[in-house]
Amino acid sequence: MSLPTRKVTVTINGKRHGPLDVPEGMMMIDVLHEMLGLTGSRLGCGIGICHACVVIWDRDDKASEEVQTCITGAEFFDGKRIRTIEGIAATNDKGEVTLSTVQPAFLDKFSFQCAYCTPGFVNAATVLLERLKRTPVAKADVEATVAAALEAHICRCTGYVRYYQAVRDVILVTPGLTRDGA
Amino acid sequence: MNDVGPRSRLSRRQVLRYGLVAGVAVYVAPLGSRAYAALLDERLLTAAAWNGRSDSLKYRIDATSKVTGGKVFARDIRARDMPHWPQQQAHALILRTTLADRLYAGFDLSVLGPDLKPDRVVTAADLARDELAFPAFYGEDMLLPPGKTPAYLGQAVALLIFHDFARFRFAKEKLQFNDAVMRYGAVTGPLQRDPWGASRFVRVGGRTGYDEDVFSCTKQAPVSPVAYDRHEPVWPKPAPDGDLGAQGMVHAQATDEELSRPPADWLVMTRDYATQSGDTAALEPDNANGWYDSARQEMHLVVPTQSPQEVAEGIATLMARSRIGLKRLFLHPCFTVGYGSKDHSPMPYYGLLAAFYGDGRPVRLANDRFDQFQAGLKRHQFSMRYTIGVDRRTGLLQSFQAGVVANGGGRANCSVALTMVGATSAASIYYFPKTDVAATAFASRALDCGSARGYGALETLAATELMADELAAALGLDSIEFRRRNVLKTGMKNAQGAVPDGTQRAETVLEKAAAHALWTGRAAAKQEYEAAHPGKYYGVGFGCIQRRFGDGAQASFAKVELAPDGRITLSHTGTEIGTGTSSGQAVACARWLGRPADVLEMAVTDWPELPVETSGNPHAMAQDEQDRLAKNPRWVPAFASSSSASNSAYYFTHATQAAARVVFLYGLLPAAVAVWGREVTPEAARWRDGALTVEGLEPLSLARLASHAHARGLVTGATVHVFNRWQWAEADFEIGGAMVRLPVDALSLRQGDANGYRVLDRRAVFFPPTKNNNTMVGYNTCVGTLVEIAVDATSGKVAGLNHHTILECGNMLVPELVSGQMQGCLASGIGLALHEEMPLYEDGPGNGTWNFNRYHLPRGSDVAVWKQTADILPPLSDSEPPKGMAEVVCIPIIAGIVNGIAHAIGHRFRALPVTPERILKVLG
Repeated sequence: MSLPTRKVTVTINGKRHGPLDVPEGMMMIDVLHEMLGLTGSRLGCGIGICHACVVIWDRDDKASEEVQTCITGAEFFDGKRIRTIEGIAATNDKGEVTLSTVQPAFLDKFSFQCAYCTPGFVNAATVLLERLKRTPVAKADVEATVAAALEAHICRCTGYVRYYQAVRDVILVTPGLTRDGA
Repeated sequence: MNDVGPRSRLSRRQVLRYGLVAGVAVYVAPLGSRAYAALLDERLLTAAAWNGRSDSLKYRIDATSKVTGGKVFARDIRARDMPHWPQQQAHALILRTTLADRLYAGFDLSVLGPDLKPDRVVTAADLARDELAFPAFYGEDMLLPPGKTPAYLGQAVALLIFHDFARFRFAKEKLQFNDAVMRYGAVTGPLQRDPWGASRFVRVGGRTGYDEDVFSCTKQAPVSPVAYDRHEPVWPKPAPDGDLGAQGMVHAQATDEELSRPPADWLVMTRDYATQSGDTAALEPDNANGWYDSARQEMHLVVPTQSPQEVAEGIATLMARSRIGLKRLFLHPCFTVGYGSKDHSPMPYYGLLAAFYGDGRPVRLANDRFDQFQAGLKRHQFSMRYTIGVDRRTGLLQSFQAGVVANGGGRANCSVALTMVGATSAASIYYFPKTDVAATAFASRALDCGSARGYGALETLAATELMADELAAALGLDSIEFRRRNVLKTGMKNAQGAVPDGTQRAETVLEKAAAHALWTGRAAAKQEYEAAHPGKYYGVGFGCIQRRFGDGAQASFAKVELAPDGRITLSHTGTEIGTGTSSGQAVACARWLGRPADVLEMAVTDWPELPVETSGNPHAMAQDEQDRLAKNPRWVPAFASSSSASNSAYYFTHATQAAARVVFLYGLLPAAVAVWGREVTPEAARWRDGALTVEGLEPLSLARLASHAHARGLVTGATVHVFNRWQWAEADFEIGGAMVRLPVDALSLRQGDANGYRVLDRRAVFFPPTKNNNTMVGYNTCVGTLVEIAVDATSGKVAGLNHHTILECGNMLVPELVSGQMQGCLASGIGLALHEEMPLYEDGPGNGTWNFNRYHLPRGSDVAVWKQTADILPPLSDSEPPKGMAEVVCIPIIAGIVNGIAHAIGHRFRALPVTPERILKVLG
């Protein structure tokens, strides 16, 4: 007797996957890892706390949101568009990689060490930058905004300082993400 | 399918290194290495992006793959990623007991029903039949057989293998947290065992700290127990004309009598301290993926480990002793992270079992976080009783008596060594004329513990720093002034009676802390803060410690090669565990070669270029045994150290730079001399903007020099082995007709374009004396941290407002990596001071129910992320080597926080963590 499955179709990093026969009740992280070979969204806790597993859900209202794939069933993503860490940088036909805005900032700042949590931080920072593009924040509030956006993400290696500084610095130099005054 | 075939650019024999262990040919190809590139054609390490003008690294060499979610961890690997493996991935899980006070009687999988039944169940009976058993280090019962009481909570009893992921996943959901699965028999109580080990460190100094000791471990010996009685050590009877142990006890007894009936002007204080059982909580849970090819008798394993050498040897030996045929082992160590929990971990061996019983399928064994809490190596829980006597008139410490007890859990692992390090580190930055520290690592049903960051010294040093503050207060002294009066100065003997190497800089660290605004302004700041924040109590605390780096038997290999175009390849035994070891070692080449290595291979365990032999235990060897073994010019005291004990900056770098220096002295410099047409001394030559220069002579690029060196048959490659037992081994070699002494114990050279390496057997060797083992602490790094906190009277929560750290660590290879390590270690210390704890026994993680919802790890809001500052002291000279500095920084902040709480609310906590509940209890 085989396990019951559901059909799930999801667009990941611009590429449509599916319909996939996903066992009922399987979490998205398991689909990413075991069915699609996308292991960059990492399992840290499995109960939605550490945020190493988050992907970016590109909503129909043009907003983007972090979603923990370890506690969200694959069926939730049926018909949806998501970005995983593997799709944040752009890769051309020749295999040349162009990093996103956030990624070079993490490199230049030596923001990560083991980097198990880094995909989650990249995605969180990406979502934050996209939010600030729509709703800029006062320069004086940048640090608090960064701290609020990244607070849920656990890192055991770095003590957070260089992650936070990198994101702050990107915000401050990227046009359109901040406004003067309160 | 198994044959690499035409897809490989080089044959495996050409690319993979191999050694022979117990008759098994061992091939090691770390993922991302050139060796592995022959199989996979992927590169995980990029050439170092080097800013030649500022001599700085632009970013880590493993950065790009990591920031793009590349498959860098063993956890990321599936069978489909290994082109020479069968492609269908199987999955395994381990069943574990959740009780350890009754007989284990088997398990019941009926909850799974027919649809979720495992495809293979492996129990102790299978292991017995196949004669598979742990290497001796790990003890007995790889899988517990029925009819025995578990040695510890969470002990493994069975391996369940599933051929497909979905059934594995849903079966695991049914089994996890299900008390009906395990079956138990009669209640026996927990196993009662003698301690894993005990030792006592007694010292009576001379007239001053610079004079010859009356008695010490270094001069005489540590004191060992003569027996165990009711599982407690029995120390020798004091006898002045007895053996060294009995003599030591004479002094221990005298110290005790003096503390019990002290001189009138002494203050004697006794305090009990306790630190918690903890989890290193490395975000990558333990895992392994392996495939056993029974037709060829080849085992393939992808593992994360801090100790690939130990895993390679352990697995080969385990299989050779079994009834299983094994001709070859292919080991693929990966980037990993562990903070000690992946050093000498049993997990690779369980991965081996899963692979072997996989019926020809690759099997992945990967802990989730519940599993990791239940089975990953833990931090030892420590209890300490300290009695300290101090002269009230001078404020000078007189005597330190300590009982240090560590709960070593159900398997010994490194418990004995760790507890001894904790004991011998306890005196910290202070000079004591007399010390008597008795240390015991006892066995219990708690989870097995490993070399968690700090390695025992974190616990004892934190306690010492809490007591230092309390002593200062009792004497009416400023607590930094009290420390300054008692600081161990350069040339003074430590508690083992050894003189720590190098300049001791604790005094400088203390002076800077004393002058810092956080300290000088704390009284006024407290008034001001509390006035502005009713219901909050403000405090500033301080801690200062020094801690050794290395473990007294550090060894590594390094090979530096120059291609004709000047490309530098570095191969090293060190493993990358997130600390940036690979980047640091690449940069280390620049001192002698002008720029970092272009190609890097870490975690190399096989060295056909430099075949050496090793035997014996370097930590416990007798001098005459070492002298005898050293007559063999190929013998070395240890093969290669794991990545642990903050060893990369100093020890790994020594090997890298020793090899690079040989290439420089016997390859590049003679090539330069040939071009310049005149002799120059090595000291006169400098690298500037990628070229070798001497005043008034044409700058020569590395590429040009390398080309000349190849053409002229000069040295273009050097492989070295190094060993350190609190001093470096040295040996004499004949090179180019002249004898030269190098700080290595084995050497081979490649000349010009030769295919291989020629071993230069040493003509004489000078190994560090074995009595250095009694020294225990040879090289120190000192760090102090000032902490500013506020206690909320309503919630009991402690807010970390700010902290400032002062660190001395020699010359830094990559300053950003030092700073990052410091920040991370500070966060670790904050976690241990305030947040992290779990019960040792039945309510603890051995029952399989623990995760991050119950074990709180610090977040950004807990670490003063925007405000924290640091002051790294300039090195003493350009030539001061880099010092290990990571785990040392975890420690003083713990004391700084707890001392700060004392300043805030007037209560001194002596047990960690200091949680809101405990604070509220005190605040009443």
